[in-house]
Amino acid sequence: MLHILNLFGRSPFAPLQGHMEKVVDCVNELEPLFLLLKQKDYTLLNEKAEKISALEHAADLTKNDIRNHLPGSLFLSIDRGNFLEMLSLQDSLADRAEDLGILLSMRKMEFLPAFEPIFFQFLHKNIEAFHGVKKIIYALGELLESSFGGAEAEKVKAMVEDVAFREHEADVLQAELLKAFFTAENQISFGTFYQWEKIFKTVGALSNISEKLANCVRMTLDIK
Amino acid sequence: MSTEQIFLILACVLGFYAAWNIGANDVANAMGTSVGSKALTLRRAVVLAAIFEFAGAVLFGSNVSETLQSGIVNPVIFDTDPFMFVRGMLAALLATGLWLQFASYCGLPVSTTHSIVGAIVGFGAIIGGVHSVHWNTVIYIGMSWIASPLLGAGASFLLFQLIRRHVFYQPSPLEATKKILPFLVGGVVLVLMLSSTYQVTLRGASAMTKVGLSCAGALVAIIAAHYYSKRLHIPITEEVRAVDPRLLAEIHSAKMSLEMARKNLAGEQFYHLEDIIKDIDGFADALGKSRFTNGKNPELALVEQLFGYLQISSACLMAFAHGSNDVANAIGPMAAVISALLHTPIGLGGFPIWALVLGGLGIIIGLATWGWRVIDTVGKHITELTPSRGFSAEFGCALTILGASSFGFPVSTTHTIVGSVLGVGFARGISSLNLRVVRDILLSWFVTIPAGAILAIVCYYLIALIA
Repeated sequence: MLHILNLFGRSPFAPLQGHMEKVVDCVNELEPLFLLLKQKDYTLLNEKAEKISALEHAADLTKNDIRNHLPGSLFLSIDRGNFLEMLSLQDSLADRAEDLGILLSMRKMEFLPAFEPIFFQFLHKNIEAFHGVKKIIYALGELLESSFGGAEAEKVKAMVEDVAFREHEADVLQAELLKAFFTAENQISFGTFYQWEKIFKTVGALSNISEKLANCVRMTLDIK
Repeated sequence: MSTEQIFLILACVLGFYAAWNIGANDVANAMGTSVGSKALTLRRAVVLAAIFEFAGAVLFGSNVSETLQSGIVNPVIFDTDPFMFVRGMLAALLATGLWLQFASYCGLPVSTTHSIVGAIVGFGAIIGGVHSVHWNTVIYIGMSWIASPLLGAGASFLLFQLIRRHVFYQPSPLEATKKILPFLVGGVVLVLMLSSTYQVTLRGASAMTKVGLSCAGALVAIIAAHYYSKRLHIPITEEVRAVDPRLLAEIHSAKMSLEMARKNLAGEQFYHLEDIIKDIDGFADALGKSRFTNGKNPELALVEQLFGYLQISSACLMAFAHGSNDVANAIGPMAAVISALLHTPIGLGGFPIWALVLGGLGIIIGLATWGWRVIDTVGKHITELTPSRGFSAEFGCALTILGASSFGFPVSTTHTIVGSVLGVGFARGISSLNLRVVRDILLSWFVTIPAGAILAIVCYYLIALIA
């Protein structure tokens, strides 16, 4: 009887990881993007922003595909709501990358020496947090093998704590960045001020969302 | 040729065909997962399935066969005209065969058990009158159809929970497997020996000697499995144990250089390099402890390999259970026809052993001519069921079916194993389950039983036209 074969739904983890790969493509473009701003190469910067936008669109397509193929009758080894939240958090990471591209290409901006070095530190810390959560998502297959408990789960729990720590470090850096930024408040117009403020928030969102995503995976673990 | 001879030949042919069908389609339930996880080659799986199906049919198949032969329809009612009873049982066999062909053409998940019971009840109630059917037995059988998937699910759920708690959640899953494996093997052997000696009347063998014999067998299995699993180690360990201290020093200096390089990096690259350094730390640590922990966990792979051996035993038990329950679908009605024609008392004394042998042979031939293809297909496609999951599902399912066989309840193997797989899924052992199959099965219940009954009545009148 072949009916037993129909009993298994398609594993949702492989597509989720596939979506994550596309999100990684988007986030990896952020550092080159800000380096172009540093070099004031606005034509290349606009191209880069468009590229990120295209990558984000590709990620969106994968996301819709996963949602369309996650039928209601699917009985998952992790909570369905939790899974969909993971997907939407991954999606918002790609969205933030796209937002940054748009924010930078809206008007010609330039770094001020007062906050440029600390801004890059801040950006890097956020990207580190993101790569931490990327590794967690890639570990989902191993987690299933051990049915979400035991040594594998302990390993993932430590990784989640690592992401949370990086998010905290990013928060500390953001406070320092704002301090440095306010020392230069007289040199910039209100418009520029507002624009930078928005960019900081969007960059900071990367680590915040990464932490949320890591905690989402944490919720699936069978350890206290 | 007299009518009686024609009926005799027809009964044997139809019974044999039904047994062939069971061997061709249903044995895959037992062996598919073991072939899929590469614990068994296809050839070995077919040989093992043949042995255990046959043993199950011959040693433990008579209870359910008696139920189908004389438990549902009272043959005494037909004493005035035995040909009515003979035609009815032949019609039931024919109806089941036709319905199964039609259902597999349409891809419906129907069960042989349900259609044969539906057919027998149908012909009994319509041809012999409502009072000729033992409705008590029918109600019990109906209850066992609801209970068997639930019990299968429950047993498999508990088994997989046990494996989770005592293997996967342990600091060292491999060591934990070594501890628990002998007892699981012992459990399988105990159940197998208890059920194969259950009905065999050895000279002077009391129930106590049977239980004692089974316990002794299980004990031997436990000791053998204990010594076998004790010898197993993670293969890499041996190589690494002879680790050169210079190697550790080299690794340390490589780590220092990487740490130097890290100072000039930031962001993603910093993260990745830091990760590499952590990996190196883990690697050096593992060298010291003679165990690899980097990347994929080789221990889990070895645990699954061990469970692969265990799964062979549970697959054999499953084949035994399947033989004990499903052989009746073919042989029960056939034996009813033969004993009515040959005027041997029906339903008294033991069930004729030669009929069980014939059924067992039919299953083996079905397996050899067509069943191996189905096993191959199922094996290639069930990749979701790793050995630990497969073992839990099969053992839970086999326990349920053997229980049903000992009470003489004909239950559906397919539905029980579906219940068992769901049970493993509820214990978070499978990434995702498709509950549509459950809906299809429930729907097929409401179709199969009346369809079997109606077809049986139609077949009855067709046979009555001919002879």
